[in-house]
Amino acid sequence: MDEKKKVNFLKLGLVRGIIFQVVGSIVGMGIVMLIRLLMGLPAWNAEPVWVGGTFVGVITFLIGVGAFSDWFKWAKGEKTSDHHEADPSLPGWAKYYSISLDHKVIGIQYGVTSILTLGLAGTFAMIFRTELAASKLQYIDLGTFNSLIGLHGIVMIAAILLGIGAMSNYLVPLMIGASDMAFPRLNAFAYWINVPGALLVVSSLFLGGFDTGWTAYPPLSARAPLGMQMFFLGVYVIGLSSILGSLNIIVTTIRMRAPGMNYFRMPIFVWAAVATSIIGLTATQFIALSFQMVMFQRLLGMGFFDPTNGGNVVLFQHLFWFYSHPAVYVFILPGLGMISELLPVFARKPLFGYKWIALSSMAIALVGFFVWAHHMFTAGMEEYLRVPFMYSTMLVAVPTGVKFFSWVGTLWRGKISFPTPMLFTLGAVSIFLLGGLTGPPNATVATDLHLHDTYWIVGHFHATMFGGFIFPFFAALYYWFPKMTGRMYNEKLGKWHFWLMYPAFYVQSLGQMRIGLLGMRRRIADYDPALNFDFSHLLITIAGFVIFASVVIFLVNVWMSVKRGEKAGTNPWNSRSPEWQLPTPIPEHNYADHPFEVVGEPYDYGLEGSTYIKMSAASKASAAD
Amino acid sequence: MATSTLDNRTSYKYKLGTNRLGLWLFLLSDAFFFAGLLISRFYLMGFTRPHLDQTLGLIVTSVLLISSFYMNRAETAMAHGDQKTFLRGTLITLVLGVIFLVGVVGVEWQLAPFGPGDGAHGALFYMMTGMHAFHVLTGVIFLVIVYRNGRKELYTAEKHWGVEACATYWHFIDVVWIFYYPALYLIGTVVG
Amino acid sequence: MKHFFRVAVLVAILTVLIGFGLDNSGYMPALASVQGAAIDALFRKHIWVISFLFSLISGFMLYSFVAFRRKPGEEGDGDHFEGHTGLEIAWTILPLGIVLYFAFLGAAALAETRRADPNAHKVTVVGSQWSWRFDYEDYGFSSTELRLPIDQQSLLTMTSTDVIHSFWVPEFRLKQDALPGEGMERELRITPTVIGDYKLRCAELCGLEHAYMVSDVIVMEVSDFEKWVAEQTEGPSDDPIERGELWYEQYGCQACHSIDGSDRIGPTWAGIFGTEELLTDGTTIVVDREYLIESIVDPQAAIVEGFETIVMPPTGDSMTEEQIHDIVDFIESLAE
Ligand code: HEA
Ligand code: HEA
Ligand code: HEC
Ligand code: CUA
Ligand SMILES: [Cu+2]
Repeated sequence: MDEKKKVNFLKLGLVRGIIFQVVGSIVGMGIVMLIRLLMGLPAWNAEPVWVGGTFVGVITFLIGVGAFSDWFKWAKGEKTSDHHEADPSLPGWAKYYSISLDHKVIGIQYGVTSILTLGLAGTFAMIFRTELAASKLQYIDLGTFNSLIGLHGIVMIAAILLGIGAMSNYLVPLMIGASDMAFPRLNAFAYWINVPGALLVVSSLFLGGFDTGWTAYPPLSARAPLGMQMFFLGVYVIGLSSILGSLNIIVTTIRMRAPGMNYFRMPIFVWAAVATSIIGLTATQFIALSFQMVMFQRLLGMGFFDPTNGGNVVLFQHLFWFYSHPAVYVFILPGLGMISELLPVFARKPLFGYKWIALSSMAIALVGFFVWAHHMFTAGMEEYLRVPFMYSTMLVAVPTGVKFFSWVGTLWRGKISFPTPMLFTLGAVSIFLLGGLTGPPNATVATDLHLHDTYWIVGHFHATMFGGFIFPFFAALYYWFPKMTGRMYNEKLGKWHFWLMYPAFYVQSLGQMRIGLLGMRRRIADYDPALNFDFSHLLITIAGFVIFASVVIFLVNVWMSVKRGEKAGTNPWNSRSPEWQLPTPIPEHNYADHPFEVVGEPYDYGLEGSTYIKMSAASKASAAD
Repeated sequence: MATSTLDNRTSYKYKLGTNRLGLWLFLLSDAFFFAGLLISRFYLMGFTRPHLDQTLGLIVTSVLLISSFYMNRAETAMAHGDQKTFLRGTLITLVLGVIFLVGVVGVEWQLAPFGPGDGAHGALFYMMTGMHAFHVLTGVIFLVIVYRNGRKELYTAEKHWGVEACATYWHFIDVVWIFYYPALYLIGTVVG
Repeated sequence: MKHFFRVAVLVAILTVLIGFGLDNSGYMPALASVQGAAIDALFRKHIWVISFLFSLISGFMLYSFVAFRRKPGEEGDGDHFEGHTGLEIAWTILPLGIVLYFAFLGAAALAETRRADPNAHKVTVVGSQWSWRFDYEDYGFSSTELRLPIDQQSLLTMTSTDVIHSFWVPEFRLKQDALPGEGMERELRITPTVIGDYKLRCAELCGLEHAYMVSDVIVMEVSDFEKWVAEQTEGPSDDPIERGELWYEQYGCQACHSIDGSDRIGPTWAGIFGTEELLTDGTTIVVDREYLIESIVDPQAAIVEGFETIVMPPTGDSMTEEQIHDIVDFIESLAE
């Protein structure tokens, strides 16, 4: 990166995209105003003008980035080349800022975006946690607080979706022996559409915010300030990315596997990615629909959820949770897959009960479709739905339990070592266990009458999301760091990261659960000092800051190691997975010059002389086994 | 993609299979959106329906069904290398698609005695027909592209994925309407 | 085998420590209702199962970390075994049994909270941004605090005038959302068991002042309750101004309008009568009776400059004409 090549910034896709987006939004606003004039309405009405304008802006962003270029050519009947990089005249790093069709580049783009959004959402959390450290209002006003918690929630969720995109885009083709995704252009499109989407979501903060939390229940969301529309539009766009990304993963897995790689010989993460994608492909349409209906209620007075105009507020919650419950399994399945992937490597043992773990992912995904109404036990939905939904919800514990017990079986009689990725994996198991076990009390309706909308729930879902995503994500980042960068991360800083984050998380989550049971409601900026929660809240805030600091350590580690880390070998963890048999850096077309055939089981650690894949003789030479 | 021992992977035929799977998954996903609207319709309106012009409804429905027939003809013709029938079929489908759009958006929307802001039936009617019409519109654009490329003789009996995709999409839109038409025009007693 | 024995001991110790630790940590607020007892009993079972399962898995893992760690200089891999179908089936069936049993308990506890007493006395709970009103329809009066007689079942019917709110008194354990719209009334049955003062806290995010949407809940001796009811049913005072002040509190106006000139969400009422006000459409208006009535009946008709972003709820719809006149009299009395 020392080569001081002069870069024309206007050639970077990202820069062009943002310029296009700004210009496009303004032009779009103009068009909406013109149409309004033609219809005999006053030109300026903030809401339709902003919504129409920014929608146009999203499309122009994609045009600016170049996401449509090849498709336009196809429409015109022209052929396109299978190029990977946008502009060969740009230096190496620039490909990450422009459109690229290489799934590894897209994976890293997803990853970096995920960490940025994680940082942003974490920063929001630090701001409102500071406010909550003591009772009474100190630093921010009620409106800002409400917007911040909602944004914290939704931006974190975006960070998770992006992080999952990172893992599955980078890993799935590598693990199944494909040279790229089935639809590389669609893949690039699905990544880039997140950028204008995220910009829209965050822009809501400057357009009056929104005071509904991430769940956006009407009728409150139908009356919220303009920021609400930006939230809806942004999430809508990010949802489109989920749908297209999921489609790509499923098709890739079905069509692009290497010879001999039958479904039960795929690395286990692929199963998790596919189970996730089934949810992402289908259920996501429902959140899009529910948000679209509120948007139109606001724009045209359509009465879907307006009780004074024939609507019903409970319908929204059904539509919303039909996506948003399965979505929580989207958040964790890749993470649980990651745990299953890493435990055998560091315990040097086969994955215990491969088939059971693989099928339990599917079971969780499928049962997950039939439990949504457990978020609505107190919501005044149809009475007769409460008990059936309790039963279905409780069922999810069974396949999840299969995973836990199988993980224990994997560790048992292994030869366990504890480098940073393993620490994060084990931390994930422990924390997800806490999160999972606090699920059933919410599911048995009667107890939920007390627990609903309290900090107990907040504790529950932070534990599931940290255990199911944050910890496995960091495990994955540390684990594949040597493959992605060719260098080793700093082990000492990695350990610091873990040993700060793990205990701090327990303090934060258990603290939330405790005050929740005692009567702390969710989504309040100020609590009654008579409840004596001040001290617990202070502890939670401090724990939050420790987590924040630990992530800073991670960033420092990455920054230093990318530049100066020790050079890593091709397979530092001695893993059997195909991607580790490739040279580092991984060639642009993965296995194009290193074709392999699957001849054995993926996790036969400890079995003398077993092999998983057989690379053709020519390629063996370049990759150390 | 680049060469590998998996030569068949780079063949047109294999890619065609991949593309087909992708398209069908996309339609599955889209079907969830339409299904959600249909469920909302029954949730909010139960067995009542908006007051609509029955003749017009019947006409646009027939137009759409007939268009699917021509679409199918066009595609089969292409598979047999019959360029002429293919082009004619595509053009007729396109015209019928436009007629459908005009019928729903241009006529029915103007005739309806209620607006989008009038109660649940207004909201649902405009949202359901609107989303469907939006899909018809994208289908029409797709047809224009296929027609134009067909005139340039870019499709052959062996290689005409573009035509096939367009036809599948068009039939999908048709099937959606087969559910929406009774839901809006036939089922239940009239209100509003 | 010795491994399993040691782990079993470890798990047992952990379970007992965690379970008893939690059980004695006072994790719930004091209990004050019959319905809550069923919930607490079920929750306590949950706590024990959580303690056991957490200890089980953590115990096995902790033990593995010590017993099966890679010792310095050690080479090679762990034992090779790929799974055990019998075990897998066992740990599918057993949890399945447990969760079904818990679901059954959950249904039973739910039924317990809904057991109806035909003599329950009725209160309608009305949530509005950001205050509660309690209509004692059987007696024909309304109140801003919820008073309940001890050991008698009260049937609370929830409704809302604007957005979704949620009724929650932690000591009663029960929660129910109050939904806007006709036919959306929802019920909750509460039989308080302990005399005392509690707080009803709105548990569903309902906008800006959600945190402060709190009302007093007072559980009283039956005789005291009856005395209070008698006081209330004497009817409000003859003085329209006093009545206006009462409506001001009961209909939740005080959530947004101050009467001492201080800032709240809406314009203060102190001294506005007779003054000239700037509206958002640029015109000015004299605050007289007619304008005030219009402001209450149709809040969107004229919006005061500086208050564009907040919508005043159409609470006026649920008031009688007389009540509105009382309020206007009250506002007039604040003119000085
Ligand atoms: C990552 C996400 C994630 C995951 C994995 C889960 C997992 C589960 N969740 Fe959670 N949940 C959320 C994220 C998640 N949740 C979020 C974000 C919310 C709040 C949304 C909002 O309102 O903002 C929420 C809210 C929520 C509610 C609504 C609460 C309310 O608002 O009133 C309920 C109710 O049933 C619930 C239940 C469960 C259950 C039963 C599981 C189960 O899947 C857990 C299964 C796992 C185990 C049980 C542990 C391991 C199993 C064993 C060791 C086997 C043996 C076990 C037994 C015999 C019990 N969750
Ligand atoms: C992945 C999901 C995720 C994660 C990781 C977190 C992390 C945290 N959450 Fe979050 N939270 C949610 C998802 C998540 N949350 C959701 C969905 C809600 C519900 C919202 C709603 O009710 O609508 C919620 C709500 C919520 C509440 C309840 C608010 C309320 O109801 O009033 C609280 C309160 O304590 C809280 C606290 C925290 C804290 C202290 C952290 C800390 O762990 C954060 C630590 C900080 C970081 C992880 C960032 C570190 C990054 C850097 C240091 C990088 C530097 C900068 C750049 C790169 C730009 N969260
Ligand atoms: C959610 C907050 C809220 C509640 C509750 C509320 N108001 Fe208001 N009110 C407002 C706001 C904001 C305005 C200014 C905007 C406007 O004129 O509509 C306002 C304006 C008014 C005005 C005109 C005042 C002026 O200065 O011109 C009157 C009169 C009034 N309200 C009466 C009432 C009455 C009576 C009630 C209770 C039955 C009530 N309000 C409850 C928010 C509220
Ligand atoms: Cu009312 Cu919160
Ligand atoms: Cu859920």
